[in-house]
Amino acid sequence: MAARVTRRAALAAVLALAAGTAWSQSLATYAVVIKNGRIEPARLEVPAGVKIKLTIKNEGPGPAEFENLDLRVEKVLGPGASSFVVIHPLRPGSYKFFDEFHPEHSEMLIVAK
Amino acid sequence: MFNALIVVWRESLEAMLVIGVLLAWISRQDQPAPLRRGLWLGAAGGLLLAAALGAATFAVQSELEGQALEIFQVVMVFTAAALIVQMVLWMRRHGRGMKRELERQAGQASGALGVGLVTAFAVAREGAETVVFLYGLGLESGGSALAANAGAATAGFVLAAATAWLISRGARFLSYRVLFGISEVLLLLIAASLLAGGLDRMIGMDWIPPLVDPVWDSSGLLDDGSGLGRVLADFLGYRARPSATVLIGYLVFWGATIWAMRRGATPRAAAA
Repeated sequence: MAARVTRRAALAAVLALAAGTAWSQSLATYAVVIKNGRIEPARLEVPAGVKIKLTIKNEGPGPAEFENLDLRVEKVLGPGASSFVVIHPLRPGSYKFFDEFHPEHSEMLIVAK
Repeated sequence: MFNALIVVWRESLEAMLVIGVLLAWISRQDQPAPLRRGLWLGAAGGLLLAAALGAATFAVQSELEGQALEIFQVVMVFTAAALIVQMVLWMRRHGRGMKRELERQAGQASGALGVGLVTAFAVAREGAETVVFLYGLGLESGGSALAANAGAATAGFVLAAATAWLISRGARFLSYRVLFGISEVLLLLIAASLLAGGLDRMIGMDWIPPLVDPVWDSSGLLDDGSGLGRVLADFLGYRARPSATVLIGYLVFWGATIWAMRRGATPRAAAA
């Protein structure tokens, strides 16, 4: 039972991934860099009401966890690793992101207008 | 240093609560030994898996390869949720008392495997992040800071054990019947929160749409980012601003689970 569930879920995930990469190609993309536990840029203005994509690169040293609690974004990145997250249409307002591994001096504000 | 303590405390507590719920249930079975063995084997396997997952997080440097890790993690949380539901259903059937010896042995074997797998997933999920975090701290700081962090991590683990023990002490005042009911509900809530986490991950990768996002905003009432709301979010999958996809996920989950439990509860003398 467990094996069957795993196989089916894996298949579904691969199919979803194939579809997902096709959709996400034409998105407005913003680059985010984490360095020494600081997130750059510290403030990012994005249009409200449209889907956007953030590419996240951790330039290290050490790992980072790019996180926003409201939007349920949680990405663990080793040093040198990069990933992305798609943010679905935002209401106007500001959204605070931080590196959970360096909470004291990492903060990035996304302002949707 | 304080970070190391908090991270280790939170992650270990989550895994320990799952283990605690299972142990409480196991202790009142006719033959607890194989189940208990399955649980500890699962915990050991989970630690290995956590180390492997943590190592993979460091090894995978590119966005493209990172997607494989992402897929694996999504598959893992969904599998864990499915296993928990399957196990609760199995517990119900088993709790009712199996008549034939043969059936019981088969049940014990599949039960021990189920218990072991659920434990392994719970430990691996919480452990992987701890591994990444502690390994990263080790990279960043050397010498005396490293020793201080190791001390803080150990303190976090001990605190988690103490917290889990206190919670289980509280549970001991309750009758077995109540305890069994609570453990069932707790396990299902954990499964639901896994499911919600998996769906959120898939939404973030743009594999599935959020449909309406958010459906409501109760963050003014109970924020899921801090305090009680955060605890509810981590353990039970509470969302202050849920997307329609996650809500549908909950409805399907609880609908299907309650239906399966009802079906299991109706007398099936002929089948037994």
